[in-house]
Amino acid sequence: MRTKVTNVLVACIFVMLGLALFNLEAIQGRQFTELSKKNSIRLLAQSGARGRIIDRNGQVIVGNRLSYDVMLLPQENGRTLELLPKIARILQIDPQELQNKLKSGFVSSFMPVTVARNIDTKKAIALEELKFDFGGIVIQPNPVRAYPYGDLACHVVGYLNEIDHWRLTMLADYGYKTKDLVGFGGMEEKYDYYLRQEEGGLLVEVDHRGRFMRVLGFRPPQNGRDIQLTLDLALQKIVEANLQGKKGCVVMMDPQSGEILAMASSPAFDPGIFRKESASAQVRTIITSRDAVLLNRAIGAAYPAGSVFKVIVALAALEAGKIDLSTVFSCPGFFNLGQQKFNCWDTHGQQGLLDAIAHSCNVFFYRTGLLAGAQAIHECAFKFGLSRPTLIDLPYEINGFLPSPLWKKISRFQSWFDGDTANLAIGQGDLLVTPIQLTRMMGAFATRGMLVTPYITKAIGNSPVFDPQRKSVTLPFKPYNLEHVRQGLRRVVSSPTGTASMLAGLPFEVAGKTGTVQVGRGSPHAWFVGFFPFQEPKYVICVFLEHGGSGHAAGMLTKQILEGMVGEKLL
Amino acid sequence: MRSSYLSILIIALIISGLGILSIYSSTYQKEGEFWQLVYKRQLLWAMVGVALFFLMSGLNYRRLWDATYVLYALAAGLLFLVFILGVVRLGAQRWLKFTWFNFQPSEAAKLIIVIFLARYFSRKSIESVSLQVSGLGAIRSLILPLVCVGVPMLLVVEQPDLGSGMILLFIFIAMSFLAGVRARYLLIFLGLLCASLPVFWHFLHDYQRDRLMVFLNPNIDPLGAGYTVIQSKIAIGSGEFFGKGWLAGTQSQLRFLPESHTDFVFATFAEQWGLVGCIGLLLLYYLLIRQGIQIACRTSDHFGRMLALGISLWLAIQVSINIAMNMGLAPVVGLPLPLMSYGGSSTLVTFIALGILVNIDKTRAVF
Repeated sequence: MRTKVTNVLVACIFVMLGLALFNLEAIQGRQFTELSKKNSIRLLAQSGARGRIIDRNGQVIVGNRLSYDVMLLPQENGRTLELLPKIARILQIDPQELQNKLKSGFVSSFMPVTVARNIDTKKAIALEELKFDFGGIVIQPNPVRAYPYGDLACHVVGYLNEIDHWRLTMLADYGYKTKDLVGFGGMEEKYDYYLRQEEGGLLVEVDHRGRFMRVLGFRPPQNGRDIQLTLDLALQKIVEANLQGKKGCVVMMDPQSGEILAMASSPAFDPGIFRKESASAQVRTIITSRDAVLLNRAIGAAYPAGSVFKVIVALAALEAGKIDLSTVFSCPGFFNLGQQKFNCWDTHGQQGLLDAIAHSCNVFFYRTGLLAGAQAIHECAFKFGLSRPTLIDLPYEINGFLPSPLWKKISRFQSWFDGDTANLAIGQGDLLVTPIQLTRMMGAFATRGMLVTPYITKAIGNSPVFDPQRKSVTLPFKPYNLEHVRQGLRRVVSSPTGTASMLAGLPFEVAGKTGTVQVGRGSPHAWFVGFFPFQEPKYVICVFLEHGGSGHAAGMLTKQILEGMVGEKLL
Repeated sequence: MRSSYLSILIIALIISGLGILSIYSSTYQKEGEFWQLVYKRQLLWAMVGVALFFLMSGLNYRRLWDATYVLYALAAGLLFLVFILGVVRLGAQRWLKFTWFNFQPSEAAKLIIVIFLARYFSRKSIESVSLQVSGLGAIRSLILPLVCVGVPMLLVVEQPDLGSGMILLFIFIAMSFLAGVRARYLLIFLGLLCASLPVFWHFLHDYQRDRLMVFLNPNIDPLGAGYTVIQSKIAIGSGEFFGKGWLAGTQSQLRFLPESHTDFVFATFAEQWGLVGCIGLLLLYYLLIRQGIQIACRTSDHFGRMLALGISLWLAIQVSINIAMNMGLAPVVGLPLPLMSYGGSSTLVTFIALGILVNIDKTRAVF
């Protein structure tokens, strides 16, 4: 009887063991297989290099260099602690801090802990020598961004930083993870997906102490693709050298194609400091500065166009048949409109169209503007692409603003008065334009009516960028009207009394228009927008100085830049 | 019966063969002469074991009846010797050093206790051939044998070898149950045992308490006391249906699993042979134990019957505790898996026990 009970009991125990085995191996088997792989398989990451950013001639604007990260293996803890003071001395940090880093970064005994990033080559070599006595140090070379020219073209290039929450939510689907470096602003942001390197790595099997057993697989890291810009490095250098210390921006563009040849915004910043731990104070000042250092003023800020807008007014009136070359207005230095008195900056006397452009006579354009009417001016300006983004391939371009009678009625419940027209006619009032918009507008005058889409990316990797949005529109203006305005623009420089006569002495014919924008507080903004050579324009230049004084200052800066170009034999 | 003789031998040979394969797979990658020799040593033990198996199968088991008290004294003496001059290894004093090998008397003590109890419980009254135990009082049927088992048990537990001590206790309970000790006494005894568990807790070593706590929740201390259980479960689980294949087990060969050739050899085996291999192995053990129980049923001699039952149950208990421990279903106590784990004493004693089993069956046939 008791034997039978025993017999059954033994059988039961074995059946239960079998069931438990079934549970462990068949039901939970997958999960345990994963765990066993996690135990024995390690991925040694090898990062590729981020794509470089090069200029139109292939010269590197932003490249990469090797940086060295120091990692310590905590499994040799006793020995690591002994060597901490030595390592700390080489790294020039406090041993206690090093120990804290080792402790806080601890994951498991065979995972190396990064204790210092981005050390220089000398320190890396010194640590490499320590390795002979002590195997627990790993020096991991990492390609990091290098900026051979410091802050050159920093606004076009942008900078790299750890991904923020907002970007992560947008980019998570593209394989971005927390702690990834992504581009902020400029090319780095716009083409981050192409520039981004692909992590490769060595899949290895290790034993219980993390010692290497064999290689299971290797995926070579992929370097990011290089981005070639249309910028001309030499030209960019000249532009930035002259812009240094001023606040404003300069854009140079090929009017035929829309290629941006130079684009600088000032004040500039060093894109490299965002990844330097020691420079966090500097970064804070950059971010909180009232000068909006990170802002690319060429595309991201809008200002009143000032007198530069007069070319639009002139063209609108010419197109409407309200004036022609023989139209003459007298400038006594002011203009009375009803009760209001509108001033001119000088007393010009009798002015025809060409002279009025050359002298930037306000009175002439008050009258011309009133003749043409606000609506015609608005339409003409709209055709030149004002109040719309130019679709340049840089992030964070803004629209600007172009007022119209309808807008005023809808948004302010006010009628449009002649005074508004007069203000608009000299580019003041509610009008806001970005420098890139004015550059494009001037380009259309340079090419006699072709409105291009400016662009700055020449090629990604080795393939040229083809963007269907990047098209040129021929503006429906009469060629002779355009030619009249062009003549006026030329006279701005060629006439001894022209507002940009300082540009007359250059070995090529420059045409353009200055502008001085009265602002509520501080000295006025200064514009010069022009093109050269006059007959076969190859360059459009737009110089803008925030609180720069007057159009004269912008003209002088233009002169310095063009002289620099002559000096470098770029023309 | 030739059939039981052959089938026990064949099953034992298959199991120890699988054991040697597993031991080889878990040690062949380790450096050092010691590790390279491990599987060869086990091969040698198995061969010596088979020789002892033949020897014991030819030796009339009734002689064990005569030698019982000598054996008991020998076991107690050896355990006492361990207590005073044993070799300390892995924090425990379990081994007696002989010239060329270390002997673990606690393994032998298990078999000797089985023999002792078999003799004790098969005493016959003069007038009747039936077993007398059911008629005995509590003192003679339970307390006296308990005291006799208790002495070696305490010595074993003191080594400390909690696992072997538990096995001795289980053997005692199982054999007194089978011998027909009154159920009332047994229940009271078990009740007292349970009640005194908290008291025993105080006598346990810290690491033994840790292990018991970890058994209740291995994740308390995943890198310390719980490590072995977790790694062993991973090893067994990752075998899935067909296993990773011989010599392809990452857990055991890359040393994530400690004691992969001794107490946790089952996990090593399971990782490489999968569910299919494990069920096969369980079946082999079950057949072996079943053979033993059937031999007991066929035997009319009380001593032989108790001896066969004792040996079978001892194997059954030790196999199931070891496998359960490998799966995290029992606390980690140092217990080898009979015939599979590396270890001379265990292998030899198991083969001797099997030899006795075969002899019981043979002698019965001769009667």
